[in-house]
Amino acid sequence: MFARRQIMLAAHRRELRETRPNLLPNGPFGQYNVASYATVRLESCPARAVQAKERRTEMINRRQFVGRSALAGAAAAGALAAGGRALRPAAAQDKTEITIYHIWGTPPGGTPAATPHPMTQVIDAFNAQSDTVTVNSVTPGNYYETLQKTQADIAAGNPPDLVSVPWAFIEYGIEGLGLNELPTVAGDRFAELQGLMSDTAWPLVTKDDKVYGFPWGLSTPILYYNADLFEQAGVDPATAFATWESFATEALKLQEALGGGAVLGLSYNKDWPAQTIIQCNGGRVMNDDGSFGITSDEARQAMQTIADLDTAGLYDRSGTNDEIRANFVAGTTAVMQASVASLGGLNADVQYTLGTNTWPQFGEKPVIASTGGSFLGSFTKDESKFPAVTEFLAFCGSEAGYTLWNKTGYVNISKLELEHLPGQEPAYAQFDAGLIRETNWPGARGSEAGNAWDQYVQRMWANDISVEEGTTEALAEIEEITG
Amino acid sequence: MTAVEPTTGAGVPAPVASSQTSIPSERIAVPERRLTWYRVSEGATPYLLVAPLMILVAVFIYWPLIYSAYLSLFDWNFVRPDKDYVGVENYSRLIHDSHFETALRGTAVYTLALIPLQVFLPLGLALLLWGVSKSRLQNAYRGALFLPTIVAWSVASVLWLWIFNSNFGVLNQVLNLVGIDKVNWLGERNTAIWSVIMVATWKTLGFHMLLYLAALEGVPRDYVEAAQVDGASSFQVMKSIRFPLITPTFFFVLVTTVISVNEDVFAAINVLTDGGPFESTTNIIYYLYLQAFRFFQIGSASTVAVIIFAVTAFFTWLQFRFLERHVHYG
Repeated sequence: MFARRQIMLAAHRRELRETRPNLLPNGPFGQYNVASYATVRLESCPARAVQAKERRTEMINRRQFVGRSALAGAAAAGALAAGGRALRPAAAQDKTEITIYHIWGTPPGGTPAATPHPMTQVIDAFNAQSDTVTVNSVTPGNYYETLQKTQADIAAGNPPDLVSVPWAFIEYGIEGLGLNELPTVAGDRFAELQGLMSDTAWPLVTKDDKVYGFPWGLSTPILYYNADLFEQAGVDPATAFATWESFATEALKLQEALGGGAVLGLSYNKDWPAQTIIQCNGGRVMNDDGSFGITSDEARQAMQTIADLDTAGLYDRSGTNDEIRANFVAGTTAVMQASVASLGGLNADVQYTLGTNTWPQFGEKPVIASTGGSFLGSFTKDESKFPAVTEFLAFCGSEAGYTLWNKTGYVNISKLELEHLPGQEPAYAQFDAGLIRETNWPGARGSEAGNAWDQYVQRMWANDISVEEGTTEALAEIEEITG
Repeated sequence: MTAVEPTTGAGVPAPVASSQTSIPSERIAVPERRLTWYRVSEGATPYLLVAPLMILVAVFIYWPLIYSAYLSLFDWNFVRPDKDYVGVENYSRLIHDSHFETALRGTAVYTLALIPLQVFLPLGLALLLWGVSKSRLQNAYRGALFLPTIVAWSVASVLWLWIFNSNFGVLNQVLNLVGIDKVNWLGERNTAIWSVIMVATWKTLGFHMLLYLAALEGVPRDYVEAAQVDGASSFQVMKSIRFPLITPTFFFVLVTTVISVNEDVFAAINVLTDGGPFESTTNIIYYLYLQAFRFFQIGSASTVAVIIFAVTAFFTWLQFRFLERHVHYG
């Protein structure tokens, strides 16, 4: 507004300069008081006073000038807007815009990667081929930050169209955030969407026989190791990762090769690897009937295994994931647990030969890992956007979309036959053995209960509290929180 | 000579601006209506000038405060259409929450450790710098100590995250040179909170030091010179002249530090330790953040906010009640 006024004033000044060059001031503030200054100049010269009086009728005062400028500006803005509409391509006019919040892009203030993340590639490929839909990609940060933004936008009455929701938050998504049922969104095309993804994936997004999302990023925790260091220490990975017992023995050799210090890093939140370790010993964090199994003998024995590694100085107590990852990448620890989705990133970062393995077994018991990752859930209440959301989801599950997505390292849960990436084998082995969904802590305070368990896991593994005390106290607290 | 009585246009005598002046009365004749408007506008102008600020303060400070107090009586997540009224349950739940108790303990440690470090240490440094003659050296010291203040908390915290790294952090490398074994600064209960305190001190030291230096600059030289002529020692000058005259700055630094100390360390906690290990670095602000943005419990978070407000207001009142009397405003 101010800029437009300045332009109009400058134009008027130019006009005055051309028609009445002797009336205009040359000072820097001339443009602000053209008419009044000119009038003063005229009146200050008695010989011209009469002439000035005559001319005053021709001249406009400041109020008139601003008023006319505003009118002209409004007219110009109207014309521009009308012109803009007319100039816009017809195709863009018809396109429906939808927004997806996910964790795989560049967060605000971050530097975009040289090679866009596969998720960005999927979105770009979709936008390039669709004549009817444009997908806008937003990366608020990690899963928590993504959910925070989702919640804030819902509260502000502007729910996002699609969001990558962690499997562990499906209950909260439904109860707390009003997650749409997928058949409601997809309508007639729901069966088509169902046909795109593996039958084993759909139960993960189903609650009380209702489907709430599109299965997308299925990960599972696996073990990464420094193969060069294993060779240097004379440790056979097959032997080391056979059982927890053999791991404890072989880890001492690795520790010696490292020159002391920790060998194994387990990622935060610690309740995620804890779930897999407990399940591998035949226990469960949450039983099928909804009760908690963390005080069972199997669970306690499993938790004690890591606490014993800590006692031997083999467990990395670093306080954040950043540090645990940096320690592993720099070669100061030998083994690290992380999601299979970290495969691409770790391959790019490490300077040594990267190996991957399934979790060690407890005796002869099978490895039963947990899931990780997220599904795509829709929150929009604008039904006119449902077809656009469905079109994008159909593309995600198509060969064109999913082939791009598969580069991430997530387990292929589509019905497409895609080549496994080198290093993904342990994840597929665990997938084939059967995964258990990441714990969905029940109730409105479920997230708080999960956090309480995570805190106790950290304390037990670092021997800050005994396993027996820790599991007992954790159970009491979780039951109190969840009611 | 009889003075002509000023009248308004309607023939009503107009008030004279000043009976003491000898200004011709015709020139001060003002219509009554215009004078009334002048009085009203003169009276209203200050209020109109502060109105925008007052509206902003009301909307962005007082309204959220009142709304927080209201929300603390509900179980709500900001999204559900219905809020469940729970009365004072959120307050009573906090009393029995061991995590809240841990957060309170952390808050006490941060407050007790950081007040001396942020109030007295900068004062000591300012006095040391004051002793350095006005030279480039003093400017260099001042610049070096003030530099951390202009670095964003998140950036500073990331920087320190790597300085503290137990395996390849600079701090352990330096300690290793003098024969000290590596320390897991951020991974151990005993060291993590002191690491956060160290970062917070480093970050805020320079700003408070600069305030003290400015206050010391403002002490009139003639007071000091007069005392010196009377034979006062440097210590006596400091004790009886300089320090009393900088007490307003001291009081300001103390009050603002008590108010903001726990809020300031939030970013450092979030980046360096995420509240761990085992919640040992959590404080009440971080607890509030967890309740609101990790657990999505707006009612509980509002309860904590109300408690923080009440406690902070109480301590600020205490300081004004008992310490302000010792402040010399010149």
